[in-house]
Amino acid sequence: MPPAQPVSSDSIRRLIVDLLPDTARTGDNPVIFGAGGALDSLGLVNFLADLEYRLSEVYGRDLVLASERAMSRSRSPFRDVDTLTAYILELLGE
Amino acid sequence: MKAARVVLITGTSRGIGRGLAEHFLDAGDTVCGCSRSPASLAHPCYEHFELEIADEKAVVAMVREVVRRHGRIDALLNNAGIAAMNHALLTPASVAQQIMATNFHGTFLFCREAAKAMVRAKGGRIVNFTTVATPLRLEGEALYAASKAAVESFTQVLARELGATGVTVNAVGPTPVPTDLIKNVPAAKMEALLGRQAIRRLGTVADVVNVVEFFLSPCSEFVTGQVLYLGGVNG
Repeated sequence: MPPAQPVSSDSIRRLIVDLLPDTARTGDNPVIFGAGGALDSLGLVNFLADLEYRLSEVYGRDLVLASERAMSRSRSPFRDVDTLTAYILELLGE
Repeated sequence: MKAARVVLITGTSRGIGRGLAEHFLDAGDTVCGCSRSPASLAHPCYEHFELEIADEKAVVAMVREVVRRHGRIDALLNNAGIAAMNHALLTPASVAQQIMATNFHGTFLFCREAAKAMVRAKGGRIVNFTTVATPLRLEGEALYAASKAAVESFTQVLARELGATGVTVNAVGPTPVPTDLIKNVPAAKMEALLGRQAIRRLGTVADVVNVVEFFLSPCSEFVTGQVLYLGGVNG
């Protein structure tokens, strides 16, 4: 595994946005999934798989994003870029 | 000359899993195997991971390490399994949990993680392992048969969920093959079991390899969600 890079909210946010479709990269906080979101169910599956591998490459951590914790939240961490960034920061902080 | 494949096989320390690993290594492929015990195979193209297949963190770490090393997983063979021949009323809850953990939960975890890599690569083959004990409703194997019924159902649903991704998911159901898994089955019981097959003999690793290679063939891209039993047993 390559050396891990320092974790920051900005760098996580960049990783997320880079993996979104071009058409979804609009506004301050693009909606990822759910009403008005950029991705359908299969799109979310592909996106999260890509993101897990990118997080492994950049931070050297093998995260599983669709965890029990994510699924049990009343507000999905996959809703938009802000919520997903905060959720990943939380996971990487453990 | 065909390109070497990266094949992940669970349960490679012995039995069918070891036979599968030897087959793919002989074919020039790279095999990444795992078991609870240290490697029993030594080959330049064989990489072993020691883990418990129902341990989520260990499975995630193994699959991602395989992708880091080789860039992809062409095929996943979920062979690892355990059996406990016993009357359902005499089966301890802990044994039932262990059977479900290894046979179903382990299969699920490897499918989930390998499929992520395969979806990213826009293709791949998953072959899960079931048993003729499930369609034959074999007495004395209630928990084993039930765990494999779960594997079959999971295989068929996952095949649909991945239908648009280029990843196929199928299952092979071997008859008894002379391995450690069946060494304690009484001869009379084994005879009765073989008597329920259309072709009444024990299976071989080569019989299983044949089906697995069919599912892995590039020509089988239109074959998914299928459960194929050996020996002429029907579901």
